[in-house]
Amino acid sequence: MIPVCVLTGFLGSGKTTLLGRLLKSPEFARTAVIINEFGEIGLDHDLIETSDESFVTLQTGCLCCTIRGDLVLTLTDILRRRDEGMVTPFDRVVIETSGLADPAPILHAVMSDDGLAERLTLAGVVTTVDAVHGAGTLERQPESVKQVAVADRLVLTKTDLVAENPDALTDRLAALNPFAPLLTACFGDIDPARLFDARIWDPSGKLAALEHDPEKWEPVFGKRSCSINKIEPHRHHGAHDRNRHDERIKCFALIRDRPIPAVALTLFLEVLAEHCGADLLRLKGIVDLAESPDRPAVIHGVQHVFHPPAFLDRWPSDDRRSRLVFIARDLPREFAQALLDAIEAEVRETTGSE
Amino acid sequence: MIPKSGYRFSEKIMRQQTDTVGLVHRLLAASLAAWQVTGRVEREAERITLTAGEQTLKVARGAPPFRWTVTLAGRDRGVTSIAGLLRMVRRVVDPDHRTSRLRIAPSRLVPP
Repeated sequence: MIPVCVLTGFLGSGKTTLLGRLLKSPEFARTAVIINEFGEIGLDHDLIETSDESFVTLQTGCLCCTIRGDLVLTLTDILRRRDEGMVTPFDRVVIETSGLADPAPILHAVMSDDGLAERLTLAGVVTTVDAVHGAGTLERQPESVKQVAVADRLVLTKTDLVAENPDALTDRLAALNPFAPLLTACFGDIDPARLFDARIWDPSGKLAALEHDPEKWEPVFGKRSCSINKIEPHRHHGAHDRNRHDERIKCFALIRDRPIPAVALTLFLEVLAEHCGADLLRLKGIVDLAESPDRPAVIHGVQHVFHPPAFLDRWPSDDRRSRLVFIARDLPREFAQALLDAIEAEVRETTGSE
Repeated sequence: MIPKSGYRFSEKIMRQQTDTVGLVHRLLAASLAAWQVTGRVEREAERITLTAGEQTLKVARGAPPFRWTVTLAGRDRGVTSIAGLLRMVRRVVDPDHRTSRLRIAPSRLVPP
């Protein structure tokens, strides 16, 4: 399986600079790159030095809205050329989205196509955020909020241009997406291994990692005795516009001490997709299924599209509680909690299980 | 006379049913908030009344094979699950909502 990494970030946030530096590192020598440029004349691809022919520019529009089909065709074609020896046998694909792109449909395109699924697997979303203008961009551009919310890694760029640490911005990023590690890149200089590691998409690893970092774990799940908590966007600047985009995006977690019947989990995801599909930016979790006590299920979804659950060989820690992490827009925690409670009760009632 | 064990079983079922009605009551109230629909949800014994705009729905336990009965404009409709109940309620109180269906991607979650 060839990992596909999605590199996104708002206009001018440093995606192309970052990509240009990455492609110069030996680890990225065998990388196919797809760049989506929005506009009549694309320039980004000219700004990246590469002699490799595994380099495609999609210029017909914004990936997320007009050429999703083109992306599938492009990926299919580049795989065919690889098979036929027409391009270097790359072992990684990086898709750089346009700065205006909503990443979710792009993830859907990679996740959902039957032909691509046999060859490609999503390896993560990296989002660049401009340390100088990032806060203002988050205020004005809803696309940028979504780009941050779906990220597996956040990369703060242009840090050399700010005199002080942009604490307000980093606090806001942490509130929008507390699970994505925040990295820093100056002139695109960053350790590639920290960006696109193969298990970036594995929420069990991320959750397990967080367990060893109480400072990150506790704001999300509270103390160990706390069953459910919610992160609200930080407020540091006094009065705020109530219509601010990220006011609508919340991160919260549901934790279950009891094993969840598999059918209850399925019904829960079906109802969530039906009623909140478009607003469910990311759902990740590690689940103690009643039918699989020793092998936890890892689930991951973007809006209404979910991967099949992956079953781990064993629990990553002594904590065997089910943990579901939501990053969603206009989805109250109370709804998700009440839904899971009701469905679980109905399933237990129907099956006669305790 | 109900045998003791049977009595206990019935009591357990009743308690479970009562709890589930309570959970559905809570879920319907949370649903209106999530859907940003103005309305209210009230519970009286084993019956739930949901009012939103001009619409009033009454929700109660259904006779098998239906788990729930929804009464709307004097007509009873059976639904088989909480998922079906929510679908019916939303269709009435939020008719413009465009639903999406869960889709399972063919691609695997974790790279080998």
